[in-house]
Amino acid sequence: MSALQTFLLVADHDKQEAKQIAERIAHDVENKKTTLIEVVQSLGEYINDEDPILRGKAVSYLTAVIKALPPKFLTRQQIQVLTTFFCDRIEDGGAVAGLETLQKLDRFNKALAEEVAQAIFGRFQELQSRSQSQRFQVYQLLNELMLNHRDALHEMGDESLVGIVDLMTGEKDPRNLMLVFSILKVVMVEWDISNHVEVLFDSVYNYFPITFRPPPNDPYGITAQDLKDRLQDCIASNSQFAPHSVPSLLDKLDSTSPNVKKDALNALIACIHSYNADAVSTYSITIWDALKFEILNAQEEFLSELSLQVLRDIAARLSEGVTEISDQLPLAQYLRPITKECNDQLREPQQKQAKPAQQILSSTSAASAVSFTLVVRTMVAPLLTFYQEADGIAKQRALLETLVVLFDSAIKVFGEWKSPDPEPTMENPLLEFKDQFSEIFGQALMGVIKEEVSFRTSALKGLLRLSTLRNYFQDNEIGLFVQYLDEIILKEESVGRDDLKKEAISALAVISKHTPRLIMDITFPAFVATLPETDDGNGPNYITTLESLAQISIEKDIFETLVRRLLSKLTILLQKEQPGSAEYPRALLLTILYVMNQREMSKDPNLELYYDRIVVNLCRSAAETASGKATNSILADATVLDILGRLSNLIVRSLPRSKQDEVAENIYTLFASAEVFSPVPFAPSTSDSHQRTMILSTYLLAGLPADTAKLPHTHPNMSALLSDITTRSITSSESGDPATHLAFLRHSALLVNKFLPKTDLNVATDAVFTLLHQITSEEQTPHTTGTIKTAFWLTKALVLRLAPKTTDLLTSLCSLLSSPSPQTSTTASRSFSILLSDDDILSPTNGATIRLLSKQRVFTTLVPLISTRIRDVNITNNTTTNQKANPDHIKPAHLTALSGLLSTISPKLVTPELPTLLPLLLQSLDLRNPDADSLAVRAATLETLAVIIRDNGVSVIEECGHVQSLVTRLLQTTTTGNNNSPRLRADAVKCLALLAVGQHSHADAPAVARAGKLSPLLPVKNQVLRALRFVLDDPKRDVRKAAVDARAAWLRGVDDAPEEED
Amino acid sequence: MTTEIQNSNPTILSDADLPTRLRPAEAAKSRAYGSGLFASTLSFPGDSVDPASQYLSAESESEGDDLLEEPIDEQEIYDLISTISDPEHPISLGALAVVSLPDILIKPTLTNVPDSPLRTVTVLITPTITHCSLATVIGLGVRVRLEQSLPPRFRMDVRIKEGTHSTADEVNKQLADKERVAAALENGTLMGVIAKMLETCQ
Repeated sequence: MSALQTFLLVADHDKQEAKQIAERIAHDVENKKTTLIEVVQSLGEYINDEDPILRGKAVSYLTAVIKALPPKFLTRQQIQVLTTFFCDRIEDGGAVAGLETLQKLDRFNKALAEEVAQAIFGRFQELQSRSQSQRFQVYQLLNELMLNHRDALHEMGDESLVGIVDLMTGEKDPRNLMLVFSILKVVMVEWDISNHVEVLFDSVYNYFPITFRPPPNDPYGITAQDLKDRLQDCIASNSQFAPHSVPSLLDKLDSTSPNVKKDALNALIACIHSYNADAVSTYSITIWDALKFEILNAQEEFLSELSLQVLRDIAARLSEGVTEISDQLPLAQYLRPITKECNDQLREPQQKQAKPAQQILSSTSAASAVSFTLVVRTMVAPLLTFYQEADGIAKQRALLETLVVLFDSAIKVFGEWKSPDPEPTMENPLLEFKDQFSEIFGQALMGVIKEEVSFRTSALKGLLRLSTLRNYFQDNEIGLFVQYLDEIILKEESVGRDDLKKEAISALAVISKHTPRLIMDITFPAFVATLPETDDGNGPNYITTLESLAQISIEKDIFETLVRRLLSKLTILLQKEQPGSAEYPRALLLTILYVMNQREMSKDPNLELYYDRIVVNLCRSAAETASGKATNSILADATVLDILGRLSNLIVRSLPRSKQDEVAENIYTLFASAEVFSPVPFAPSTSDSHQRTMILSTYLLAGLPADTAKLPHTHPNMSALLSDITTRSITSSESGDPATHLAFLRHSALLVNKFLPKTDLNVATDAVFTLLHQITSEEQTPHTTGTIKTAFWLTKALVLRLAPKTTDLLTSLCSLLSSPSPQTSTTASRSFSILLSDDDILSPTNGATIRLLSKQRVFTTLVPLISTRIRDVNITNNTTTNQKANPDHIKPAHLTALSGLLSTISPKLVTPELPTLLPLLLQSLDLRNPDADSLAVRAATLETLAVIIRDNGVSVIEECGHVQSLVTRLLQTTTTGNNNSPRLRADAVKCLALLAVGQHSHADAPAVARAGKLSPLLPVKNQVLRALRFVLDDPKRDVRKAAVDARAAWLRGVDDAPEEED
Repeated sequence: MTTEIQNSNPTILSDADLPTRLRPAEAAKSRAYGSGLFASTLSFPGDSVDPASQYLSAESESEGDDLLEEPIDEQEIYDLISTISDPEHPISLGALAVVSLPDILIKPTLTNVPDSPLRTVTVLITPTITHCSLATVIGLGVRVRLEQSLPPRFRMDVRIKEGTHSTADEVNKQLADKERVAAALENGTLMGVIAKMLETCQ
């Protein structure tokens, strides 16, 4: 059997084999064992066969052989002969592929390309009737010719144009269309199409709008958007299409489908961007007339937005190259009917269509400086007239807002004070109205009764825009505005929610960025003057002033002044014998802290000054106060020390290394000399105010880098220091105040987590086990609570750095919950929230060692332990009557511990454990005791459930089979009995609402997926609706509101039967 | 349903001018730390820095406010119905002034039985134009919303405000007739329109 015959046999079922045969022959040809002529001749009997399939295979054989030959093997003559041969037989399978191979060769020339093209165009009818994949080959050949031999096709001119259009007519396959559109686009852009504009346009426009929906598992991955984009490129490719494209696209706006309208508008935008300005101008008014309706009677917001973009883009295109403004400009002619329409609508500025008219003004005026000027020239004068004639404040307000819209456009076109881009050369047309604006807006802000908050707010916004607009208001004009704002903030009584005051403060904050000078000269003295010397008991007015100051003092110069002024106030206070309450000094420090938090302190040139004045001086004063050597006791107040600590912490973190070392040496001495103050660690005395300085020491310690070498008491190791601190933290839990206790806890945790070397970790681990041993062995000591908390904090420090023995530690803590002593068990259960909660001091900002997987590790270790233990308790309680085996407090304690954990970890970790957790959560909801623990547990449980439901929908609960039990328990929590606090009731109702809303969002899933599947909530729908009806009468408004929403969600979201898709 | 818009350009009130409830809770909070600006600086406001102390604060919180009852008042009814959208425009009935606070009344249903918990809510509707044929639909929408959102001891009385509609009597009769309301609610198209109106209620 000859190679050809074998090829014909295997061609259908073994492509690989066929290819190898062809390669062998090609090899023979190459080695001159046979010749190409012989190969062609061998085809003889088959290529004239009547069976087209056989003919096709024979031609494929030749193609396969050619494909396997090296690219330079064929001579020019051979290529020519083969091309002619293939062209003659183009309708036979394989010929197209052969041509594609040939045209890639270097020796293939222009004349041959033309011959191929003519062959394709000549037989287009036969080619059209082929299968989809064969048509694809043809388009691919054409596409390759376009890439490699475009000149040849281009020179064919109309012949190739018409040929291509004829060939693709009727094509429906998306993959083929992708190719066709890109081929056609080349023709549209590069050919002279003037004789065939309509034919060419129709050839692509027939496909508009594209309604293609990709089949599932589409191997080609073509989306409707891909097709839309290519089609749109074609429509927009040539300005000569304008007479056809614009009217046709506008016609499509009559469609009832918003998606069709969207496609039409997008295509229109593309046309406006790429057609030449003349074409755009010719149709600009036609487009406006059509779009007017879309905007004024907007049905869908996105359609109105797109339409506005069309208007804006036309204005931008027509502004190109315009340097001088005249009424004869195409742009002016385009804008004339638009401004007229807006003018008409804005006569009644409160009516519905005034809003879209504003939007039209906004988008057209923001298009360019020329466009802005034209709009302002025609619109501002009539708007001002309407304003004067307006018969009510509400109407005036609407007009002010229209002007504000124009100011916004002005900012877009001309920029703000400090915009980096160059200013347009054109003069701002608003300049001629400057005095009028000042007067009207100033009058509106300050000259009406105080209750007109929304009116005054609009006026304020207008003045703020004008103050930030580049080169508009002079400093004295902005100064006047600043004075208005000061007056509003300082002198006016509160009205309602104080919206105006809030706006005024943020306006000052904006101005402080542009012109800090004005704020320093006008606002700052006025505000500081209202601050009292001491807290005179006249209520916290100073808080409002300090808040305002904090918000306007972010800029460097103002900040510097602020700190100086507030610190001198504080210094005076510290020297007074009757300084009043500690609230005021705390508020002063808090203000500095707030602003420092907003600024980047490490780049502040005054950092060392702040270090000296705040950290060194004030800490020293605190030490003096603790030793009873100060005039008053302000710095002995725990809350003041806390803020001072935070402030010092912030500064210490940014200090250079040498200064940080200085801080390290003074952590416990607090920069005071030994005669004045003896450091707390190892000190025999334990007065409260003395111990309280540990708050400062802790914050200072937190601010230091982990590799600080100068820490006192850390050589040879820190076990002595640690043991002293833990002892104090245990004893201070009962005697000292909570802030001091917390400081000790944090201090020990910091030492262990951040500063304890890896090699010494056993010091800390041993300490924890010793503490735990004490708790379990000793009967009810006065220090149990303190010991438990200390153990938890130390464990927190260890598990966050994932120290060895993490699992052992956690298991031991967990066993505390089963302690026979209710006090131990309860205290331990509450302390579980300590383990993973974020802490201000033991935080990443302070360089604490927090390993990424630590939370996950703790959670996955503890949840199975808790879950198993609860199951044990449930079983033994059911089987034995001996209650003593498991005292009553054990189960609630485990649930409390769980809720403490859940409240401190991210929901992402919770979801995978859901099957284990859900039963536990449901049991938590069953807790009915009136004590605070059960309330807190239930509140935390509802919070967790809410997150789970919101993130995963009802389906996860359905998978665990708990829908009914969950709903029942939630409903029980909504009633006013059962010790349900209002918050619990509202949260439970919200969870119910989320169930229905969550399942509603699942309706977005493909119809196929949920067809015939009833909502899992359906069985409980009536139960829920009936129960919620009574919640509607809850005494608390928040609960009722939640119930209203929940009922609406259930009524709307849970369908009785799956509705028909339309 | 007619698709032609009857009043394409009604007057709209600005959101800021609609009546709202000033929450006493917010006013109280603004005392301790001003408007709460500084509180954001501290991750844990005040002295509840210790995570374990949440149990104590939960306890204190639950005592005072809980006993205070907040009865259903006119503003609450207004909040329920003002967010319904007009069937013609995506604008709320509140902004169109179709419903307004002074036109909502809550009275005891049985004036001679002082202890009776029964209440009657009267809502007067002001159509945007006097010949609006959608007045009935709006009335029905308000009724449905109230029925879904008020406890069973409330009776609804939804009417067109006197002198604001050319066929007010006709519409009122329809809205007051339980049978006709029930029949109307069986109508799928009508319920579709009403469901769309109620979609914006939050």
